[in-house]
Amino acid sequence: MVDKSSLRSNKRSDSGSSGNKKSGDSSKQSAKSSTKKTATSKKAGSSSSSKEEAPPVENGAEDIEMKDDAEVTTPTAGKKTEKSEKPGDEDVDMNDGKEEGDKKEEDPVVVAINEIKENFTLLERAVTLFDARFTLRVLRSLSSLRRRLNPEILSKIVAETYPGDHPSFRRLTVAIGSSASGMELDSPSEGSKDGGSLLPEIDVYLHLLVQIYLLDQKNLGTGTSFSTELVQIIHSLNRRTLDSLAAKVYFYYSRVHELLPPPAITEIRPQLLASLRTATLRKDIDTQATLITLLLRNYLQTSHITQADHLVSKTVFPESAANNLIARYQYYLGRIRAIQLDYTAAHNELVGAIRKAPQTAAAAGFVQAANKLNIIVELLMGDIPERSIFREPRLEKSLHAYFLLVQAVRIGELDSFFDTLNTHAETFKKDGTYSLILRLRQNVIKTGIRMMSLSYSKISLRDICVRLRLDSEESAEYIVAKAIRDGVIEATLNHEKGYMQSKELLDVYATQEPQEAFHERIMFCMSLHNDSVKAMRFPMNQHRLELKNAQEARERERELAKEIQDGDIDDDDAGGEFEGM
Amino acid sequence: MADKELKALHQGLINTVNKGDYASASKGLSSLKIALLQRNALIPSATTLPTTLLLARDILEIGALTSIHQTDDAAFSRYYSQLQPFYEDPRLSTPKTASVNRSKITGLHLLLLLSRNDIADFHTTLENLEAPEDDPFIKHPIMLERWLMEGSYDKVWNATKSSQVPSEEYAHFSQVLVGTIRNEIASCWEKAYASLPISNAKNLIFLDSEGAVIQFAKDKGWEVKDGRIYFPVEEAEKEALASGTIIENSIGYAHELETIV
Repeated sequence: MVDKSSLRSNKRSDSGSSGNKKSGDSSKQSAKSSTKKTATSKKAGSSSSSKEEAPPVENGAEDIEMKDDAEVTTPTAGKKTEKSEKPGDEDVDMNDGKEEGDKKEEDPVVVAINEIKENFTLLERAVTLFDARFTLRVLRSLSSLRRRLNPEILSKIVAETYPGDHPSFRRLTVAIGSSASGMELDSPSEGSKDGGSLLPEIDVYLHLLVQIYLLDQKNLGTGTSFSTELVQIIHSLNRRTLDSLAAKVYFYYSRVHELLPPPAITEIRPQLLASLRTATLRKDIDTQATLITLLLRNYLQTSHITQADHLVSKTVFPESAANNLIARYQYYLGRIRAIQLDYTAAHNELVGAIRKAPQTAAAAGFVQAANKLNIIVELLMGDIPERSIFREPRLEKSLHAYFLLVQAVRIGELDSFFDTLNTHAETFKKDGTYSLILRLRQNVIKTGIRMMSLSYSKISLRDICVRLRLDSEESAEYIVAKAIRDGVIEATLNHEKGYMQSKELLDVYATQEPQEAFHERIMFCMSLHNDSVKAMRFPMNQHRLELKNAQEARERERELAKEIQDGDIDDDDAGGEFEGM
Repeated sequence: MADKELKALHQGLINTVNKGDYASASKGLSSLKIALLQRNALIPSATTLPTTLLLARDILEIGALTSIHQTDDAAFSRYYSQLQPFYEDPRLSTPKTASVNRSKITGLHLLLLLSRNDIADFHTTLENLEAPEDDPFIKHPIMLERWLMEGSYDKVWNATKSSQVPSEEYAHFSQVLVGTIRNEIASCWEKAYASLPISNAKNLIFLDSEGAVIQFAKDKGWEVKDGRIYFPVEEAEKEALASGTIIENSIGYAHELETIV
């Protein structure tokens, strides 16, 4: 992270080579599988985004921004603390970059324009070859382009691409112009391509650039109307090569509305739902997955849990969606299930989300948020999260409050639990875990009772009451009775003499439990293996080649066997041959 | 029907409710609802005037409270659902127009969910509320839920007494809740005690007389002998070796291994 940001100033001064380096990198990566690619593309997107936010210096704004960019990093608060150290040097760095950019006025602009044009060729290729990988490569370069965008670049590229009478030209220039008033716009140059041959992909791509630019400039007013218009255009287009671009457009569309004051966020729901319907009908997996996660996020932000739940039950999340989208989806699902008290399901989803989340620094916010929720869910299930989670460097700081909470629950002391709850109430509320944590009270009590039942074979209700700091002995009796019924402890109560007697502990290894635990692990390994087999990408027609080879080998073998049979061959020779096989 | 008439009907409704005549109030409500429907005010739409919507919301709130008095849970749930869009309409939640009855009705809804033991919905509804603990109407069901969950049944019992409830409508749920906690306690007893004297049981389960306790024990199928209740001893089920599952699992593993190798 630090390395990269310090490198960046170099890159800027020598941006010509940086462009090349970028493309070199991306072509290297393009050899990898396409699923992997979506992941990396987003990773790349998010990793750079964490650096690019420097110019709007105010902290709050930056925090919000981060959420948006990092794709996966959704509702996070802990991030603020994480990032707060880093932006320092980035700020400086960024400003340096800007000055340099001013000095070498021409250089970055030309480079950026060239890069955008390179992307045009890639898009064209994507269309002609009908291969989404090229589009994904274009999208991956988005994040590096994003921080270099300025009205000059945009207006130039727009002017060069469109003929003057093209409807998009007017729209784009107006959008760019409004955010950089006073900026002189080039008139469309002569000899530019004619509108007929302009691919919708390129058209949408340029729109996307402008859309992102408006968002980065905090030009929400124009951004909103522009995005809305753009979404309507996309909605009307029906081209498979446009799918991944469309998904991006929807993402930023929703993002812009999120930043606006409240009613805006609910107003886009009909559009998102309509688009989801269309995407589902067209089997447009990228858009479908993006829209489902966006809608879930939308519902959860206004705490419309029931609607979110209905959406989940009414839609099928595409299995082959990009990894990052699956991670987000699982996170949201985990959140819904946790609120609905279905902790086991919530736990499964959250663990999945944490495992699927990219391991880069940029996704730290998402991993933090998911871990926070997961810790609470584990506590609610009666488990104690592993100590190692709290030691992980990128989690340690943001999970501190949760660490204290876990300690309180583990010991089973109500006092320290409420102390932690009150001191860190603000953090918990911001993380959206406060109401879940409130439910933990009963777990704290149960743990306390369990500790006591383990330590004493016989203890009076009065002592239980004192130790747990309960209000009355009667309450203690009811609570212990309930704990026995819920299977928290194995004990009996004696009302007249007022004590609790623990039953002898069962030997776990005499039960089915170890077997079940093993079964669970075996099943997990099996499904992991099966999933990895499914995720592998095989080159087309490769198996035919292998078949042919196998055929040849078999023939050779047969010949050899025949020769041996005929006794025409020396033993040494034959041995060598066999070894070769 | 002119607006005046609607207002007159509304005023009439308030009068009947104030008199406590809920039967005729519910009749008045149905005609009012038709009237609202005719002017497209039953569901808040952008075109309807805010004043009409406020009137509509008030009518629906009265309807909700009336149905509680008539112990018509289904009707209350319907009113509650109908009220939701009104509460979420930004035009109707400014400080001037915000409903005074909102928290009361939400609290009642929570209580209804609690009495049905629909805890998942209870928490989902709770998630929608801001600062739920600050409101006496909402705090009541929250505390009840907390006590129920941790097992402080004596506190629940105290809270359901009529002097403790935040408004008279809440008392309607007390009966249900007491029934719930009795059943909860009974199931705890079966597991936690070997036997219990009837005199103590009477206090523990909040019944008035020992006769009622004996009746309760009989309903549950417990044995009553020498002034004590004996709970059926659960035969520790000998866990039979689940050979079926073991075989099934092993074959499953073998099958999977085969596909790998």
